[in-house]
Amino acid sequence: MSDALELDDVTVEAAGRALLSRVRFRIEPGEFVALLGRNGAGKSTLLKVALGLVKPSAGDVRAGGRPIGKLSGRERAARLAWLPQHTSVSEALTALDAVVAARFRFDEPRAAAIAAAHRALARAGVTELASRVVTQLSGGERQRVAFAVLLTQEAPLLLMDEPASHLDPAQQIATYRLIGELWRGGQGVLCVLHDPNLLHHALAGDEADRIRVIGLEAGAIAFERRFSDPALAGSLAQMFGVRMERLRCAGGDFFVPLPERSDAAGEHDRH
Amino acid sequence: MAVVALLCLVACGVAPLLGPPATGEPAAFVLWQLRVPRLLVAMMVGGTLSLVGASFQIIFANPLASESTVGTISGAALGALLAFLSGVTIGPSGLPIVVLGAFIGALAVTLALAALAAHGRARTSDILLAGIALSLAASAVSSVLQAMATSNASLAEKWSLGQLAQIGYRGVLLLLPFTTLVVGVLLLRARAFATLVAGEDQAHSQGVDVRSLRAVTLGAGALGVGACVAWCGPIPFVGLIVPHAVRLLFPSRQRFFLPLSAIGGATFLAMCDTAARVVFPGREIPVGAVTSILGAPTLIWLVLRRRVP
Repeated sequence: MSDALELDDVTVEAAGRALLSRVRFRIEPGEFVALLGRNGAGKSTLLKVALGLVKPSAGDVRAGGRPIGKLSGRERAARLAWLPQHTSVSEALTALDAVVAARFRFDEPRAAAIAAAHRALARAGVTELASRVVTQLSGGERQRVAFAVLLTQEAPLLLMDEPASHLDPAQQIATYRLIGELWRGGQGVLCVLHDPNLLHHALAGDEADRIRVIGLEAGAIAFERRFSDPALAGSLAQMFGVRMERLRCAGGDFFVPLPERSDAAGEHDRH
Repeated sequence: MAVVALLCLVACGVAPLLGPPATGEPAAFVLWQLRVPRLLVAMMVGGTLSLVGASFQIIFANPLASESTVGTISGAALGALLAFLSGVTIGPSGLPIVVLGAFIGALAVTLALAALAAHGRARTSDILLAGIALSLAASAVSSVLQAMATSNASLAEKWSLGQLAQIGYRGVLLLLPFTTLVVGVLLLRARAFATLVAGEDQAHSQGVDVRSLRAVTLGAGALGVGACVAWCGPIPFVGLIVPHAVRLLFPSRQRFFLPLSAIGGATFLAMCDTAARVVFPGREIPVGAVTSILGAPTLIWLVLRRRVP
């Protein structure tokens, strides 16, 4: 059986409103899917229904060919790992303790969990933060530790919810570079984000045609295109309801939302 | 942690030696037949109450959760009181039926709360408020029952203030299986509890069955609190204050939070009980009053001493 995550005509309703409607979607280890959409389009809900945190009103979610609800907690954690949009901890625990806790699915002695946690912290580039208390870290440092937590679960599929949304540009670039490394290492990446330009930082060389960009509109899939597709700008513009310019820059396509009244302003300038 | 455990053990070891010289009875009898078993009961009850409180704080993700704030103790007290006043005695000295009553009472309140938690998206603060309301309601019913009761009433009243009963080694042996079970079950969940620190959804994604963890914790908590309350009456504050003290005295020692809470609770109640015996020679203060009198200022001191981060 493959390790794919499959959503088969998944519908999620809450209080009579469809958060997701008939979403059909599949991702395998080694694939990179970027999920974009307006606020409230159902992106986070899609991740949560994939994780079994939200039950679909209709349709099936399967991991490795088995319904997600039929998997034990540890089996599920062995297939899917999740980086939530916001992480907050209720206790003053160290980064190392946070990462060790994420080894829950493994039946192993504590020494092995600690060794694995140190490896994950090193891979996330924050070896030196191991004994720091998570609540006292900066936003960027905390996100690095969250990545170590994600990595240490050693799942073939990684679901990330806006992994860089509140980071400074340098941290955003570093974050997507790390995501790219994980992807090239063979893990599947399903990443919710708002700024498609960040995807360039995950790429090494000419790989833009390997990233699938899925647009989610009002709970339904509006389009799916390759990141290299010239028509992507138009799809994004339509979905976000803004004018969008595609600029060729540094060997890639960058998407720039333009001010609504820029035409009029431009004409005014010419007069 | 070994050092802390050793210090606590020494403190508890000294406790039975304190106190006014016994009148009439040989000192060795007082020490070995009265004070040592009483100390053991205090340690078991204190450790269990504190560990249950620490576990409740984790599953409710709220530092104010404990068996005294979410109503488990009051429910247990009401159940035990009903069993007491019904006059039914089955088994030796009627204790098992009181334990059963206390357990049912504790479980009823806990389940009511769990049902509320499962209903829709109740916020943790709502659940705590409901727990406090349930707690007050159960206490009120208990008071009414006591006021109306004629038989066993004075015994029940004395018991309801919290008292470490002089039940000797047989009592220790009767209590031991309950406390061992509860402490074992909760300490074995330490790895799952650790994932809950980052929230229930995160714990779920890391492979923890959050619903069953919550059910086991609430059930074990109800059993432990039920047994303790049946023996000693409702002893407030231990489950709230000791985990806080552990947290403040040993910050970022998340891994040892549960065992340290158990050890700290055992020591705290042993100290309180010793104080209850010693402060007014010849007269005893209810240990529940001592835990409150010592507990409240200690908590305030601990909170004030913590520097704002």
